Amino acid sequence: MMKIKLSFPSKDHIRRILAEVISQLLNYLIILIIGLAIGAVVIFFSGLDPFAAYAALWRGAFGSWYKVLDTLDRSTVLILSGLAAAVAFRTSVFNLGLEGQLYVGAMAAAIVGFSFTSLPKIIHIPLCLLAGIVAGGLWTIPVSYLRLRWKVPVMVPTLMLNYIGILLTEYLVAFPFKDSTATMSASPVLLETARLPKFIHGSQINIGFLIALAMVFIVYWFMFKTKIGYELRVVGFNPTFAASSGMPVKRSVFLAMLISGGLVGLGGATMIAGFFGRFMSSFSVGYGWDGMMISLLAQNNPIGVLPASLFYAALANGALTMQSQTGVNQNVVGMVKGAIMFFVTAQLFLTFFKGRILKWKST
Amino acid sequence: MEIDLSRIITISLFAATLRMTTPILLATLGGIFSSQTGIFHVGLEGLMDIGAFFAVVGSVKTGDPWGGLLYALIACTVTSLIFAFVHLELKANEIIVGLALNIFALGMTNYLLVEILGATGYYQSPLIKGFSEIQIPIIKDIPIVNQLLSGHFPLVYVAFIMVAVVYLVLYRTPFGFHIRAVGENIDAAKTVGINPKRIKYAGLLIAGFFCALGGTFLSLSYLNLYSVGMPAGRGWLALAAINFGLGRPVPALIACLIFGFADAFALRLQQFGLPSQIVLMLPYIVTIIALGGSAIRNEMRKRNASRMKASTATDAAA
Repeated sequence: MMKIKLSFPSKDHIRRILAEVISQLLNYLIILIIGLAIGAVVIFFSGLDPFAAYAALWRGAFGSWYKVLDTLDRSTVLILSGLAAAVAFRTSVFNLGLEGQLYVGAMAAAIVGFSFTSLPKIIHIPLCLLAGIVAGGLWTIPVSYLRLRWKVPVMVPTLMLNYIGILLTEYLVAFPFKDSTATMSASPVLLETARLPKFIHGSQINIGFLIALAMVFIVYWFMFKTKIGYELRVVGFNPTFAASSGMPVKRSVFLAMLISGGLVGLGGATMIAGFFGRFMSSFSVGYGWDGMMISLLAQNNPIGVLPASLFYAALANGALTMQSQTGVNQNVVGMVKGAIMFFVTAQLFLTFFKGRILKWKST
Repeated sequence: MEIDLSRIITISLFAATLRMTTPILLATLGGIFSSQTGIFHVGLEGLMDIGAFFAVVGSVKTGDPWGGLLYALIACTVTSLIFAFVHLELKANEIIVGLALNIFALGMTNYLLVEILGATGYYQSPLIKGFSEIQIPIIKDIPIVNQLLSGHFPLVYVAFIMVAVVYLVLYRTPFGFHIRAVGENIDAAKTVGINPKRIKYAGLLIAGFFCALGGTFLSLSYLNLYSVGMPAGRGWLALAAINFGLGRPVPALIACLIFGFADAFALRLQQFGLPSQIVLMLPYIVTIIALGGSAIRNEMRKRNASRMKASTATDAAA
């Protein structure tokens, strides 16, 4: 371990950190207000009361103990998907294929979940989740090959693999693995030994959430405390510098894609083994895309992914209550999310506040 | 399963190729303008979606497909202005703003579909007035050729004519020169008195214009309906086509034709009872192969060029 050197930060240093923190918080607050305000205007013009709608949204997300647990449950896949995006984006690999990797991982988990009989829980569950990780990771390899061997930028191929992955899983549950008793295209139900145990009576929340929570810290530790993680970040920050200082740029890009696919594949697996209990076609309502947005909201910091995921989960759960109680169409939330993303990397507010705070402190 | 190829590969398949190429080509032409100013426009997909939706709204409200096109143009122009403002004035990252645009478009069309048209998921109604086919005078009387070239929707012809227009604008006008200058070297462009911000605004607005055309074609030609997520990746295919042609219109056209053919071929195979999911993968697989192929070609060319240089150097030394 490294020795930690203690030195007293100067007053100036503290002031800078404080200015950074405060301006970041203010920045997020303003962006949130802008997003909600745009939503409110839309609700207002459809002739409904925006305040009542947002109150219902809040109740739906945090109104009771069970609502809170539901929100936490919903955040599971978002956390994993957000972490997946964070690892890739930190390495400057624009993996836009999370949605496809999620589906493929979920499908693999489902296949393991319903086909291996008479396994004890302690083996079947990890096997199921591992299948999700491996499938999600493998799904990135064609893209990595094109990127590393022939310098094809990853963005478009990862996107194409989204469509291919979603169609492939749709095909699998429509023909080879179709459960003929199900009304929609779905796989057979997972065996009881593959289902993630629930730990609070009366709630859907399961150990998937705890796994996701642990992954937040594991990914943080990996990215910030290990040599490989350090290399990933340097490659992301400046590939030319990384290459000239002898870092394995190619390996880092490959690893970032692989880990990213594995994490979101694990997310898909937790949804299938935890929430749904079977693979259904189009089960994901854009969790992969949400993951990218969450990571960007968190400035690609694994720890920041946690609050950002909770925010997204709250919006998603709250929207359902909002729709049922006040009649406001839940898709308003999609617009709010889009509006927030528009401004999230805008530097305007940030530099404005930072300048103000620094000035104000020094006078 | 036996499939008779001669029944699949017919003149009408090539006619369908032109039709399926059209929306991708329109988005590609728009994207070429923004990419030539140095902006990688990830929001094409969302813009097309907005265009397709507002074309249907406009068609229903005005009772005329051209009214639909006008609505689409207005909607896409406004959206492009917001995009341009956030990227150019607020200095937000273009890729992230593009992704945001896609998310926003999905939320907005979903929401407005319920609010304006009272439908969820998709809207189909005799109230939607679509375009009608154009029979081209002389050509319509020539056998075989008429099947291929005549009887398409107006925007099909617009798209292919636009390839030439875009080429001329980019390579034969001062405006085109300014656009390419900004994309190539922004500082050099500034020193000769070009205002890069204004050029970038123009590039983004032109991208919006073409996406409106592409979106309108999707919803008001052949199938007069709107369904959520209607572009189905065509905006992304356009990015692949731009990438394939390195921002030049003619090679991008070739890429679009390849994607359009894959699309048309997939539709045709579907009629022969192959599982639709497998068949529908085809265009996306073709895209990946095309991207790989063009990258390999570029790499080879570079390698040959350096080898040539090396051999001329040794010749000179000898």
